[in-house]
Amino acid sequence: MQYSMKPTLNGYAAVKATLFGIALAAVSSTATAMMPSGDLVIEAGRIITQAGDDITDGVIVIRDGRIEAVGPAGEVEKPWGMNVVGGPEFTAYPGFVEAHTSGALDRANESVDVAPFLNIRDSIDPVSFFFENVRRNGITTLGVHQGNNCVIGARGMVVRPMGRTVEELMIRGEFGLKLSAAPKSGKSRATQAQALRTAFDDLRTYLNETVGDKRHEGDKAGREALYQGRELDEEESKGRAMGGTAWKVDGLEVIPRGELDVKQRPLLQLVEGRMAAFIYCGAPMDVHLALEVARDNGFLHRTTLVLDNSCWKAADIIAEAGVTVVLDSNMTHTELDPYTGKEIETDVPKVFADRGVRFALSSSNSSDQSLWYQAALATGLGLDRAAALDAVTIVPAEILGLGDRVGSLEVGFDGNVVLSNGDPLSTTTWIETVVLEGETVYNRSTDGRNKHLYEGQSKPAGSKSGSMGHSAAGNRR
Amino acid sequence: MLECFALFSLATFVQPLTAPEPPRIQSDSPAAQTLLIRSDRIIVRPGEELSGAVLVQDGRIIAVGPGLTAPEGARTLEGAVVCAGYFDAWSTVGVVPGTVTDKKLDPASRVIDGVNTHAFEKVREDLLRAGVTSVRVQGGNGADVGGTGAIVRNDPNSRHGEIALLTDACVAAAVGVSEPNQVQDVFQRIDGVDKLVKLIEGGRSYRDRLTDYDEKLAEWQKEIDEKAKELEKDFKKAKKKRDSDMEKAEEDGKEFKEKKYKEDKKPKAPRLDANKAAMARVEAGEMPLVVEIHRVPEIRELLAKTAVFGRLRLILAGATEASSLGSELAARDIPVIVWPTPMGNTRLDEYRHHDLELAGKLHEAGVEVLFGSGGQGTAGDLSALAALAVGNGMDRNAALEALTIGPARNFDVGDRIGTVEPGKEADLLVLTGDPLAVSTRPAFVILNGVVVVEP
Repeated sequence: MQYSMKPTLNGYAAVKATLFGIALAAVSSTATAMMPSGDLVIEAGRIITQAGDDITDGVIVIRDGRIEAVGPAGEVEKPWGMNVVGGPEFTAYPGFVEAHTSGALDRANESVDVAPFLNIRDSIDPVSFFFENVRRNGITTLGVHQGNNCVIGARGMVVRPMGRTVEELMIRGEFGLKLSAAPKSGKSRATQAQALRTAFDDLRTYLNETVGDKRHEGDKAGREALYQGRELDEEESKGRAMGGTAWKVDGLEVIPRGELDVKQRPLLQLVEGRMAAFIYCGAPMDVHLALEVARDNGFLHRTTLVLDNSCWKAADIIAEAGVTVVLDSNMTHTELDPYTGKEIETDVPKVFADRGVRFALSSSNSSDQSLWYQAALATGLGLDRAAALDAVTIVPAEILGLGDRVGSLEVGFDGNVVLSNGDPLSTTTWIETVVLEGETVYNRSTDGRNKHLYEGQSKPAGSKSGSMGHSAAGNRR
Repeated sequence: MLECFALFSLATFVQPLTAPEPPRIQSDSPAAQTLLIRSDRIIVRPGEELSGAVLVQDGRIIAVGPGLTAPEGARTLEGAVVCAGYFDAWSTVGVVPGTVTDKKLDPASRVIDGVNTHAFEKVREDLLRAGVTSVRVQGGNGADVGGTGAIVRNDPNSRHGEIALLTDACVAAAVGVSEPNQVQDVFQRIDGVDKLVKLIEGGRSYRDRLTDYDEKLAEWQKEIDEKAKELEKDFKKAKKKRDSDMEKAEEDGKEFKEKKYKEDKKPKAPRLDANKAAMARVEAGEMPLVVEIHRVPEIRELLAKTAVFGRLRLILAGATEASSLGSELAARDIPVIVWPTPMGNTRLDEYRHHDLELAGKLHEAGVEVLFGSGGQGTAGDLSALAALAVGNGMDRNAALEALTIGPARNFDVGDRIGTVEPGKEADLLVLTGDPLAVSTRPAFVILNGVVVVEP
């Protein structure tokens, strides 16, 4: 025992120590990551809660960053001593949720084909101008994922758009693995499909071999003990039997999870249904591959498809599969009839809405087409109001696994509130104030860049003139 | 040739139409129809004809012969000739351009993954109107390796998972095919043969390694089991010895050391390699190897070098200069996919000696000929091309076989399609005249038992 098993035990102990270290780090980082917990009272002439009817002349009470009460002014008691923002001229609604963006990343893509061992936290730039724009546009929660040019990409994370470090930004440090069914540059559809399937074949082979080796090791230890005349202690199992529904490797419980290759672990989590998947589809045919891979490996129920606008053609099978989707920011698909040369336009959100597919809208990289614009545009393309609002609040919140925390204004939810001077789906409305977990993180009256643009005053400190054009668009609200 | 290419580009780059207008070709409820097709000339299989009717139910041919009556609710069709749907043995129809031109495909790359069922509806529709009901698609046009090819049923309404009759029909390869402005000289071409042969050898040695591993593992396991039994038997003795050794060590004030245990290393499994696994299947004849190859030197080299692979099912494609090698090909039972198209003087180098009599000559020499549209994406004129081959000396029945059951059999779907026999899936043509006359056109096309083309 003490001979053959010792290295293993030591290895395990080392892993445990590392894990413990990570846990400690996590605890300490959460401590520093806490936003200065906000207490705030918000008054608004109209509150769109996204959880039942709108409230006229309502009050939202936020304590320690969470919503403590929300209701009509007459029914909600405003706690003594709290700051009050808003007023009857404002409309309040939940902060927007962006389910899928690569905007905050230093570099959106990696050159390695299969890279689930990477975490995009190493690529996020917290002081990126991106986050300022996001706040200006009323987005309070974002799922940040690797770009689409991959086979299997990095693990993503869910962030709030405010913080000096990645830890301060972090809401969920590890959420969702990015995959792509569309060919990465240098690949064709057939080779992309091959690479995607091979990744899971490799995982299975690896697990089988590892279990085989481990079992052999244990058996060998037994024979060694017999030979030496020792009694063999009962071997402790520190592993866990494989979960999931698609395929299983028997005997995985003999392997402590910490001993598994870090390159393979995220994929195993996918197959066990313990990790969400975001699969990019660049064409309708990619949807078939994406669903097949997700189905064959048991993570269909945790899959969100990130769709190019042409993918409306696969809407039927998407509806059948019951997965959620993130739509392209360009919501009108245009193509030419090959025979008549006539232009054919399809309004994508409506196609999915008609089939009962749950979808989230996404901002384009250009800041003047942020979620508020997308939602407003979608109503113009035939989507009803409620569905458009859901697609930038409730649905993306669900996709990010935060359906019980963000996306609507309910007691217990994060105090993420946008105050504007009118209806959220009107393009003449301005976002006045953005509240993130009870803290005011944006105020138009103090928005230097905005002032500079629209009133020709106060050049914001430290900003280069080159970036002004960029923010100009973002301010128009 | 250029014209073909232009058509091909149009076919592959056009985007599909939106769905709204009801498609003219319908196959929504394949099981719904019962058909009785009457004709004075039913070509059951090339050379075997009868007069009477074909009864189709639930997508299958139920009965063929005289004296059949229509069951209640059946639809009755009538036409001059009934025969099996045409099969294009060499096509890229419906495969996205990126996969067609991909030079980096591996043997295990599945071409079916490059088949786009959301586009090319018009192309498929046109093919059906021309009577082509099935195609073998491959990728990597002219590339060393064209991936694992598929047999696709040419159904414009089929969904992705349903369009293939077979997803692993063959591995495709090419030797000596020129790139634009880049003609391979004979040494490069011979080198290409060597590369291909190495691939096949790789497959064989992979299979050998697997078999070897299984044997070694079994041997090792047996040995270890025996050893374990022995050790268990001797355990008491060993324990006693250990105890006394320990005591002795203590008495002597020395550190006790366990006896070193040694046993044979467990054999290690060969690394999983999907490409070699695919080539292993090819080497074992589980799927054919289709090689586009044109000129005498490399065909000779290929024949010589592959003679050692007894189970390999080689199929040549193109084979422009193969007419002089007929007897060798016949002796080795190697079929040839011929593209019997008229070519202008802009033909590629490898087609310089292109000869419309090739199909006839090969057949004459005893070689099985299959027809294909040259992987150019246009299969619509396939039956006309076959007629052209007949005009240039090919036997009529052989030509019809090369258009139907020949390719079906060679690509392992011959038990499902290719003839008008009971039990087969009903991919049928009702023609206005003889199948190998250019003035003939399909009046009705039946796909999987459903009438998809009407007059």
